[in-house]
Amino acid sequence: MPSGTGGTETLDALLVRVAAGDRAALRAVYGRQSTRLFGIAMAILRDRTAAADVMQDAFLRVWQRAAQFDPARGDAQVWLSSIVRYAALDVARTRGREIPSDDPDLGDAPVEADALDRLSSAEDSARLRDCLGKLEAKNREGIVLAFVHGLSHPEIAARLAMPLGTVKSWIRRGLLSLRECLS
Amino acid sequence: MSGLPDDPAEREALAGEYVLGTLDARMAARVAAALPGDAALRAAVAAWEQRLAPLTALAPPEAPPPDLWDRIDAAIAPPAPRAAIASPAPRAAIASPAPRRGWLSSLGLWRIWAVGATLAAAAFAGLAVLPRAPAPRYMAVLVTDQSQPAWAAEVMPNGGLHLAAMTSVAGNRPQTPQGRRMQLWGLPPGAKTPTSLGLLPVQGGQMTIRAPSVRPVKDMLIMISVEPPGGSPTGQPTGPVVFFGRLTAAGES
Repeated sequence: MPSGTGGTETLDALLVRVAAGDRAALRAVYGRQSTRLFGIAMAILRDRTAAADVMQDAFLRVWQRAAQFDPARGDAQVWLSSIVRYAALDVARTRGREIPSDDPDLGDAPVEADALDRLSSAEDSARLRDCLGKLEAKNREGIVLAFVHGLSHPEIAARLAMPLGTVKSWIRRGLLSLRECLS
Repeated sequence: MSGLPDDPAEREALAGEYVLGTLDARMAARVAAALPGDAALRAAVAAWEQRLAPLTALAPPEAPPPDLWDRIDAAIAPPAPRAAIASPAPRAAIASPAPRRGWLSSLGLWRIWAVGATLAAAAFAGLAVLPRAPAPRYMAVLVTDQSQPAWAAEVMPNGGLHLAAMTSVAGNRPQTPQGRRMQLWGLPPGAKTPTSLGLLPVQGGQMTIRAPSVRPVKDMLIMISVEPPGGSPTGQPTGPVVFFGRLTAAGES
């Protein structure tokens, strides 16, 4: 089997090869993950040019830091999406607050029950969905807006028409009850 | 020590907010700076990443610009130093008995095929990106009824199918008609009716079908039809078949 395709290899194994400087392995990671990861960056930035720049930065980091990925400590897809999310969040933060929180492109009512239904039926997703379902609606919406769309506390407060301090403490409480529920 | 609170509960909550993305730039930078030297904080962040990861599925997948890989590839150049010092024997997890030779020779075949295809397709610029792709086993160029190449399909060694739009010299790429969806079909040799392989993204030039509903085999006909928004209601193509091609072994052309 040619080693370049990575077709039968797990992402874990591909990242081990990336860590050894194997460009074909990075290409294979890109081929498998770029559509998912670009979607994640787009949900935060809503700008294809900015999202593409973030992807380029993120893949550079993957190239440079693949050795830091430890399959024993986490899932490769999660590791990759975290790198993309942090890079996108950095851009969103430095870009400042140009995007009005009532941007119609923000996503269609992420708190609707059917939005959570889009979570896959995989076990992790089902548990998270159940636990999110136990939160108050606005709390749940705040968490989804932050995680998926990269909204800051002030942006969430504006969008939910709630005081900033309330939003901060709600989201923190929501996170902690999620952790408890998932444990 | 790092400007972060000492209280463990506070640090745990901070890790959650870091992963959630709600910290402001200054605080996020502090957490990021503390991570390399703080194993407990790293573990807390990693645990939050795992907990919240399923939410990434709420971001609709979208194909990146077609030139993005080339930009990344250029950005990581040159390959020499890291590759040269890389251990010649990759770690045990890797199942690739004779990587170098196998990869190079299949790459050679692939290039020969690609040149032939490029000549045959005359002026279609989209092919220029293909020789970078790792060696496939089978592939197909889906053409229009005017024999214009529009999509490249390749079978991954794990049996998945990857589809990428090709860009014509004029800069045109296959477009989904307004309010419709394009649906992918496979017709294996001997089969009488095609099987749906899924809907194409409305915009975006790439998709990978990890586990196709029908195994992509040599000489399978691959087609794309125009269907209602939710896909064909009958399980068979109901709209016009706008692109089609046959899987052939790379190198046979």
